[in-house]
Amino acid sequence: MGRYIVRRLLSLIPVLLGVSIIVFFLVRLIPGSALQMYLGTQVETTPEQMVELKRLFGEDQPVPVLYVEWLGRILVGDFGHSLRTGRAVLPDLLSRLPLSLELTLMALALALVIGIPLGVLSSLRQKPLTDITIRVVGLLGLSLPQFWLAALMVLGFSGFRGWIPMGNFVSLWADPLKNLQMLFLPSLAIGIGLAAVIMRYTRNSMLEVLQSDYIRTAKAKGLKRWVVIGRHALRNAILPVITVAGFNVGYLLGGAIVIEEVFALPGMGRLALYAIYQRDYPVIQAIVLLIAALFVLVNLITDLIYATVDPRIRLDEKGR
Amino acid sequence: MKRFMFPVVLALLLAIPTTTAFSADKILTIGVDQEAIGLDPNIVTAFSSHRRVDLLYNKLVRVDDKLSIVPDLALSWENPDNLTYVFKLRKGVKFHNGREMVAADVVYSLNRVLDPKTASPGRSYLATATAIEALDAYTVKIVLSGPLPSLLEGLASNNLAIVPQEVVEKEGNLQKVAVGTGPFMLQEWLPDNSMTLVKNPNYFEKGNPSLDKVIFRVIPEQASLYAGVKSGELDMATISQGAIILQALKDNTITVMRKPSINLRTFGFNNTRKPFDDVRVRQALALALDRTEIIKAAEFNMGQASGPLPVAVKLWAKDPASLPFARPDLAKAKKLLADAGLPNGFTFSIVTASSYEGGLDVAQVIQNQLAKIGVKVELDVVEWGVYIDRWVKRDFDAMVEIRGGSSDPDRFLYRTLHSTGGVNNFLFKDSDVDKLLDQGRSLTKVADRKPVYDKLQVMLTEKAPVIFLYSPMENQIMSKKVTGFKQVGNGSIYYLAETKISN
Repeated sequence: MGRYIVRRLLSLIPVLLGVSIIVFFLVRLIPGSALQMYLGTQVETTPEQMVELKRLFGEDQPVPVLYVEWLGRILVGDFGHSLRTGRAVLPDLLSRLPLSLELTLMALALALVIGIPLGVLSSLRQKPLTDITIRVVGLLGLSLPQFWLAALMVLGFSGFRGWIPMGNFVSLWADPLKNLQMLFLPSLAIGIGLAAVIMRYTRNSMLEVLQSDYIRTAKAKGLKRWVVIGRHALRNAILPVITVAGFNVGYLLGGAIVIEEVFALPGMGRLALYAIYQRDYPVIQAIVLLIAALFVLVNLITDLIYATVDPRIRLDEKGR
Repeated sequence: MKRFMFPVVLALLLAIPTTTAFSADKILTIGVDQEAIGLDPNIVTAFSSHRRVDLLYNKLVRVDDKLSIVPDLALSWENPDNLTYVFKLRKGVKFHNGREMVAADVVYSLNRVLDPKTASPGRSYLATATAIEALDAYTVKIVLSGPLPSLLEGLASNNLAIVPQEVVEKEGNLQKVAVGTGPFMLQEWLPDNSMTLVKNPNYFEKGNPSLDKVIFRVIPEQASLYAGVKSGELDMATISQGAIILQALKDNTITVMRKPSINLRTFGFNNTRKPFDDVRVRQALALALDRTEIIKAAEFNMGQASGPLPVAVKLWAKDPASLPFARPDLAKAKKLLADAGLPNGFTFSIVTASSYEGGLDVAQVIQNQLAKIGVKVELDVVEWGVYIDRWVKRDFDAMVEIRGGSSDPDRFLYRTLHSTGGVNNFLFKDSDVDKLLDQGRSLTKVADRKPVYDKLQVMLTEKAPVIFLYSPMENQIMSKKVTGFKQVGNGSIYYLAETKISN
């Protein structure tokens, strides 16, 4: 197990290196530069000022040179400074990360809490009305764009004080109750699509498991209905659901970018969005790298959970 | 029984209002749609940053709600000739760090703006300044190499605010800290969340500010800003979307303040590209446009038709209705096109962006209106960064823009339409226009300048290198508790210094 984890973590290095090259050169291919965005359309500059501005915005050197310099600094933990605000990138990023992670985890939790019971329910109730209702709701959840749902929530709940952050966000440790209240709607907007996916997987998987021999045996032994469903059926049916949920965590993090903007939450997603608008290269680069690393880590964690839940899976070669 | 207690207790907990703390502090919470990018008054370009600087710093002079120049840190000034200005400073003004602001600070700040190393966007306000010197602790002299009638207006810009040298030197710049002389002082800044300013107890205007605190909250959605003021979580918000203002106007629990801004919505051409190099073609397009309809459809009527000078600047702007091509005349437009050799019209593209500044709504109305004279318009809708890139590279047939106007005609028209103008991206070169602009710049007395700019407004409308459409409204919505706020017209919220709020 330990060796497996080390090997997977080592594979992060080439992944991040590849991502760093792509993002560094790609963001500079987008028309418009940080300097242009800073000057906008209304500012006049003298030629001497332009020389100085180009130096300040790092436009006086070829991109490959800048890349090597940047990479060298990252190795010693310096992610540079924002071109717009002048603030150091890393502390800014790390101060925003907890909110985005909390949002992602809450969305995941909501998706599981909504998706699994509904999936189980729908697999047990083969009555057409219940089943069709749950499936239609599931399809809706899957098809509704997050940002649209979020905008509807803002409009619908705007009269309820405290449920929409309104730019006075409080962190989990400052006021847990208020924090959870504020994050409930945004998490729901992000998680509802995944809830639908999880519901469908749970339903299909349960239907399959419920047909198997050991369930019949369990029933024949006279076990209580909820024991059969909970301990025997669900435990086995849940495996593919874990995989799907794990793979989707990265997308939830992506969903946070849009939702943070709609709900005015000061998370990493919003930082990323403005960095892109303003071509703030150092910030974009750092965020993309961080998200890539998180993606790999989450996949690793999914695999580990999988191994714990399903004893048939051995992660170390030795075990085989 | 226990089982029923839990939900009851939970419900009670949730029902407790979250803002129970009672305080006698007068706090005004203002919702803004963008976070400030930095706070250094000499460096910032973002509108959002300027709105914070409004409250933190002072300039030598400022623009009041009638768009007139009034004393700020300078109590009085004189210009013995049109190349010399002498300013008498207020005594006893203190920076937020407690030190007195004196003439040396003015000299330092203005030289900081002039220094290419600062790369200040306010550099051009002092274009011809050659020397800035302190005659004594409270007197400053500015010497020019050439006349600059817009100097006072330039000195009223936030970019020429007076800053303390020792703080700049200690911090490198003032992007993250704020030590000004303004009515409010920076207390706390949580980026993308909130910024809290507290009253400056030593502010030089006795009795102001009345508010103890101003809290900025960043809420990107305009509909949420409105909802915030409605629910009482915000006391005030700046709104740019006409649809939201219409909603607010019907709501009698909210005060809506509107005023034509000094900005101009323009529809400009690349005058070097065919067929826009032919004045008849430009005139034909001008005659095909119906400003009233554009303002109605694109701005929900939240705008006022304007000529080359913003209609809000009453001292200088000619009545837009008195200028040529004020009303659409399709027959004449078609004839002009035929005269230019384009009887069947032509096709061109408008670069536009879906942000408010990019004016997509306006471009769509223009597209419809020009179709009536057989001119086909393709809309080149781009992301804001691409829009600026196209603007910088002059890569467009036509563009819809917002131009930041000014209260002085020299600065705005010279930079926009002189053949050497810094933001003349229309690539318009015309010796008659240049001559009048140069003449206007050489004069300092209003009475002498007025006829020049009257003539120029007519000439520019006739030559139509860019069509000036309208001035958008500046809109503030606020709760009925808020009184005493005044709009300036350039976006400034300085008057929060005189605003009161009742609990």
